[in-house]
Amino acid sequence: MTCRDTENLLELERKGEIPPGEQQALTRHLAACRRCGETAKVARLSSVLLGTLRQEIVPGPSFYARLRERLAAAGSAQPDSTLLHAWGFARRLIPAVALGVLVLAGVTISLEGPSMPRQVQGAHSREIYAFSLEEVNLTGSVERPNQDQMLAFVLMQGQARGAGSGE
Amino acid sequence: MNDNDKEKGLEPAREQRDEAAQEEARLIRQAQDGNQRAFEALVRLHERLVFGIIGSFLRRRQDVEDLAQEVFLKAYLAIGRFRSGAPFAPWLHRIAVNTCYDHLRGIRRRPEIGIADLAESEADFLDRYVKKGYLSGGGEADDRLAARDLAERILATLPPKDRLAITLREVNGFEIAQIAGSLGCSRAAAKVRLFRARRAMQAALRRLIRQDEHDE
Ligand SMILES: [Zn+2]
Repeated sequence: MTCRDTENLLELERKGEIPPGEQQALTRHLAACRRCGETAKVARLSSVLLGTLRQEIVPGPSFYARLRERLAAAGSAQPDSTLLHAWGFARRLIPAVALGVLVLAGVTISLEGPSMPRQVQGAHSREIYAFSLEEVNLTGSVERPNQDQMLAFVLMQGQARGAGSGE
Repeated sequence: MNDNDKEKGLEPAREQRDEAAQEEARLIRQAQDGNQRAFEALVRLHERLVFGIIGSFLRRRQDVEDLAQEVFLKAYLAIGRFRSGAPFAPWLHRIAVNTCYDHLRGIRRRPEIGIADLAESEADFLDRYVKKGYLSGGGEADDRLAARDLAERILATLPPKDRLAITLREVNGFEIAQIAGSLGCSRAAAKVRLFRARRAMQAALRRLIRQDEHDE
């Protein structure tokens, strides 16, 4: 065995996964090689020290009573819970409302018909629907998005807004 | 055992896991609607790991409980923003780790330590370790205390996030992805912090061991 094997074997030893034959070879090498001997001493002491930080503490008898009091105090300091619920409900409605607006916009465009000749067609028109709602309203010159495209748009907006929340 | 039998053997465990996940999701929804009992049930499900994380930075039971109260209170106030369907444990761990981070940031970082900075019990422990190796087994409570003092003294020289990385890995058994999630950094950044912390700890120990041997 060589000095280069030492670190790997010490790591296996730390995890308790070192094969017995290798353990003997490691012990022989550490006794003969001063540098690896020191490396082993440091690595083993490091695990011993870190091991002492592990402690099993369970909540004491008054922990939950105290927590309940604090939660109750925090709850009453928060905005009115009915208002919070109303806001939570309203938030869930936002995507549906947005979809409704899009559908209305689409219907309006299709009823009025395109005011200018179609300049953007095919795959490009889909990209415009996918990325910019304004394009639809401003030019009125592109194909009306189908329901799936509108849904995809709403979902994308939702994802963009939702990214980062929920941690 | 053939694959079919194995599959059957796994069924009950999977069902139990699914049931537990459904129960947790139900508690989260109720807690989001302001139900404190449901929130307390969630706390009880996760208290062990939260106490374990905090206990690796603080020693006294009262201090651990105080910080745990902070963690659960923050979680309670933030649960309305928790995205339903997301895993709850990592979210709670992140709050716990952030709270520990705030605590560690409040402690002045110590400079590099030498053997002259050690308490007598720590120096004794180190000397015995260097000469004979650490004797684990019964009747070593004093050694354990001295070792913990020494561990904390060395870790107090690290930047707080590096200290969090090595403690979460070596004491709490977190994987790199979990450390990254808890610290809010990339996996690569978590690896760098862990590497740096291990290297700093080993450098400090190497220095102390050499000083101890030199003083003979
Ligand atoms: Zn060697």
